[in-house]
Amino acid sequence: MADPVPHKARMSPVSRRSFLQTLGVAGAAAGVAPAFLRRADAQEFMLKAADPAAKPGGTLRFGILNAPAHFDVHQSGTISNLGGQAPMYDLLIRRDPRDGNTIIPDLAHKWEVSPDGKRYTFYLRKGVKFHDGAEMTAEDIRATYERIVRPPKGVVIPRSSLFTAVGDIVVVDPYKIEFRLTEPRPRAYMLGAFASGWNVIVRKKTLDDNGGNLRQVMNYPGTGPFRHVSRKDKEVWIQEKNPNYWNKNLPYVDRLEIYNLPAFSPELGSAFLSGKVDYARIMDPISWRKAKEMPGVTATAMNQSVIQAYFFNMKRKPFADPRVRRALHLATDRHVMVDVVKDTAPMQVGGFVYPFHEWSTPKAQLEKRLGYQKDPKAAIQEAKKLMAAAGYPNGLKNLDFVVRDLASFKLWAVAIQAMLKDTLNVESNLRVVQTSQWFEEAGSGNFDLAISAIVSSLMDPSDYFTAWYGKGGPQNYSGWTNEEFHSLAHNLEREVDENKRKAMIPRAEEILENDPPLVPVAWEQIYDAFYNRVRGQNATKFFGIYDVTRWDTVWMAQS
Amino acid sequence: MQKYLLRRALFALGTVIGVSIIVFVVLRILPGDPLVALLGVEGHSKMTPADRAVIMRDLGLSDSLPVQYVRWMRDIATGQLGKSFFRGDTVRDLILHRGPLSAEIAFLSLVISWIIGLPVGVLSAIRPNGWADAVARLLSILFIAIPGFWLSMLVVLALLFWFGYKAPLLVVHVWENPWQNLQLVIGPAVVLGLAQGAYIARMSRSCLLEVIREDYVRTARAKGAVESAVVLRHALPNALLPVVTISGVLLGFVLGGSVAVEQAFGVPGLGRSLVTAISERDIIVVQNLVLFYALIFVAVNVLVDLSYAWLDPRIRYQ
Repeated sequence: MADPVPHKARMSPVSRRSFLQTLGVAGAAAGVAPAFLRRADAQEFMLKAADPAAKPGGTLRFGILNAPAHFDVHQSGTISNLGGQAPMYDLLIRRDPRDGNTIIPDLAHKWEVSPDGKRYTFYLRKGVKFHDGAEMTAEDIRATYERIVRPPKGVVIPRSSLFTAVGDIVVVDPYKIEFRLTEPRPRAYMLGAFASGWNVIVRKKTLDDNGGNLRQVMNYPGTGPFRHVSRKDKEVWIQEKNPNYWNKNLPYVDRLEIYNLPAFSPELGSAFLSGKVDYARIMDPISWRKAKEMPGVTATAMNQSVIQAYFFNMKRKPFADPRVRRALHLATDRHVMVDVVKDTAPMQVGGFVYPFHEWSTPKAQLEKRLGYQKDPKAAIQEAKKLMAAAGYPNGLKNLDFVVRDLASFKLWAVAIQAMLKDTLNVESNLRVVQTSQWFEEAGSGNFDLAISAIVSSLMDPSDYFTAWYGKGGPQNYSGWTNEEFHSLAHNLEREVDENKRKAMIPRAEEILENDPPLVPVAWEQIYDAFYNRVRGQNATKFFGIYDVTRWDTVWMAQS
Repeated sequence: MQKYLLRRALFALGTVIGVSIIVFVVLRILPGDPLVALLGVEGHSKMTPADRAVIMRDLGLSDSLPVQYVRWMRDIATGQLGKSFFRGDTVRDLILHRGPLSAEIAFLSLVISWIIGLPVGVLSAIRPNGWADAVARLLSILFIAIPGFWLSMLVVLALLFWFGYKAPLLVVHVWENPWQNLQLVIGPAVVLGLAQGAYIARMSRSCLLEVIREDYVRTARAKGAVESAVVLRHALPNALLPVVTISGVLLGFVLGGSVAVEQAFGVPGLGRSLVTAISERDIIVVQNLVLFYALIFVAVNVLVDLSYAWLDPRIRYQ
C-alpha cells in the first residue's frame, strides 16, 4: 500500500549514517560500533575476516546435525537444513558472523526505512551471479519474499509470521526493491526478520520450475560463498569455494566438509575429540568439558533461541485458575532443573523473556524474584498459599503429564513430578511419547501437563509474544489468553519507538509471572568446540545457531 | 525334494507377505504425525488444515490403504522399493549404499561367533565341570546377559579416551578401502559375535556332551582312536546340527541387534538408517527395511533347513 507522504520526504537515507545507527542497536552495548564498520562505505562494503593475517586455503571439517527431512530452507525450522545449506546462499542483509549480532549488508548493499516505519527499500549489488551463472536481480528477491510472506498452499514457512505487515513487494528497478508495510513495525524487528538466516535468496526460475516447493530439490542454485559438490544422505555434504563470489575477499577456505553428527550426541563429541572434525557444534556437555581441557582447543558457549517449558491444559478445570498455574510455576526449582540435565544439555535459568536480552530483568534482579531464588522455600510457601486459595489445599491427583521422548525432557519430567508431589501434593502420571505424537496430543488438548521446547526466530519479544503467548498463537499449547497481555503485545509489535517498547516489557513480564501461560523450565545454550587452527569466528555472542552458519569469514591457520 | 522346496518357498512367500501387511498397517495406525518430521516443530505448529491436505496428498497418504499398499507392491516390483517420504531418495539406493556394511557386520559376527563359540564349547564338553568349563560358562552367561549397545558404548569410549581413536565417519566399502572398511565393521561384528558366540558355546557344549556318550563314540575310543580324532571327527560333526539351527536363529538376533549396535558405534549401516527412519516416521523407508530384514531372515531359515540333509545324511526331504 502506498503511503501518501511524498517519497523524498518520507525516506531517511540509511546508506552510511543509518547503517551505522542500525549497527548501534547492537554496538551500543559495547559503546561503540566496530572500527571496521565506522570506516566502511556501505555501498562498497565487502566483508572480510577481522584478522588481517587471514589467508585463503584449506578444508574446514564441520560437525553438525545435517540430515534434513527435505531441502527447502524456507520451509525448515531445524539446523539440519541450515547446517548443511547455509554456506551456499546469501540473504538480503545479514548478521555479522564476527560478532553474530550486528546487521550488515549482504546482497543489498544499502537500505532505507521510511520515518513512519512502513517502507523498506533495499539497493541490490550488481553483477551477483547464482551458481548456475544467472544474474541475481530484484525479481529473484521479490519471488523469494513473495513466497515467504504468502506461501502457496502446501508450503509452510515458519517465518511467514514475521512479515504479516508486508503488503506489496515492488520491484522499482532490477537493483532496487521496496517492501511496503500495511502498518508500522519496529525497525529492529523488521531488519532482524530480513537478516534471519532462514530467508535465503533463491532464483525466481527455481521456484517457478518447481511449483514453489523445493522440498525435494537437493541442489538449487544460490549466490553463496560455497557451491555444492556432493552429498551422501546422513553422512556428509561437500562444498567448494565459489570462485565467482561477489564478495571478492571471501570465502577463505577452499572446501567445506559438513559431517552429519547429531546434536548432543557422543558421536559428535567423539568425532571432535578424535580430531575427525575441526569444528563441532551443539556438543554434549561431557564431551565439551573434555574438549575444554584439551590443549589447542577452544570451547565456547552461546545463547540459543529456545525455551524449554511445560504447558498447562487451560481447558481443564484446575488450570483455568491462574493461582494454580502460578503455584506450579513457583514450585518448579529452576536451578535444580539446570542441574538435572547438566550432563545432557547445557541450560540456563530464565523467566518468560529471553534472560540475556537487554530488555529482560537482569539476572541478579531475577534471582531475587519468587520462583527464581536459589533457596526455594519462600516460593514454595507462596505456592502452597495459592493452591489453598484456589481450593486445592490437598493438591491434585492423576494429572496426565505428556513428555516428549528426548533425554532432557524425560529427566526433567521425573524431577518436576517429584517436586510437585513433595511441595504441593500434586500427583502426575508421566506419559512418554514420540515427538510426532507429542504434537498430536498437545494440539488436540489430550493432556494436563506437557513438556517440550519452543523456538523463536528473533530475540525481539514481538516475535515470540505472538507465537508463544499470543491468542491462538501456533505454539501457545496451553491455549492461554489474557486480554491485557494481548493488547500490550499488539502495541509492542506496532510501536516504532524502541524506548517505548522497552518500557512495556516489565509490565508484560509481570502479567506472565502472575498469570503464567507456561512454566519456563530452562533456556537452552549451545556448546561449540574447535581446534585453534580454525580462525575467524567468535561464537560466544551469537543469538542462536541459525543466522551465522555460512563459514565465509572462517580461515584455517594450518591447512 | 522339489515338492519340499516348493512348499518351503510358498511358506516363505506367505510369511513375507504377512510381514508386509502387518508392517504396512501398523505404521499407518500408530499415533503420531509424520508431518512433524517433515515440517519441523515450528513449521508443524503453523500448518493450516489446507496445507495439511495438500502435503498429505503429495505424499500419497490421503489415498485409501489398499491403494497405498498396491502402490508399494508396484514399487517393489519395479525394484525401486519406493522413495523416502521426504527427500525423494530411493530405498533401493539406500540398501545398495549401506546394506553391504550391515551384511559384512552380520557375516563377520557369525564367523567370530563360530571361531569363539565352538572351541569354547568343545573345551567345556571334554572337561566338564573343570575350571576351564567354569570360566567358559561364566563368560558365556556374561556375554549373553550384557546388552550389545551398552558394550558397544564402552568399547567406543575406551578406544576414544585411551587411544584417541574413532572409526571413520562415512560409509567406506570393502572394495574402496579395505582397511578403513574393516575399522568400520570390526567393532560391531566383535560385539555381536561375542553374544552369539556365547550361545554357540553353550549349545555346542550340551550337544557334544550328549553325543560323546553315544555308543559309536565309545566304539571309536575302543578302536584306539586318539581323543582329538574321537571328538573332532566322530562326535563334533554329529553335534553340529543344532548349532547350525541356532546359527540361523541367531542371524535374526544379529539383524535386530545390529540396529542398536550400529547406532552405538555410529556405523552408517542399514540398522542405523532404520532407527533414523523410525524417529523421522519416514514410513516408506521403515516398511521397506523391515520387509528387507524379514526377507533375509526367512531366506536364511530356509537355507538352514536345506542344509540339514547335507549335514545329516539320515534326513530326507519329503
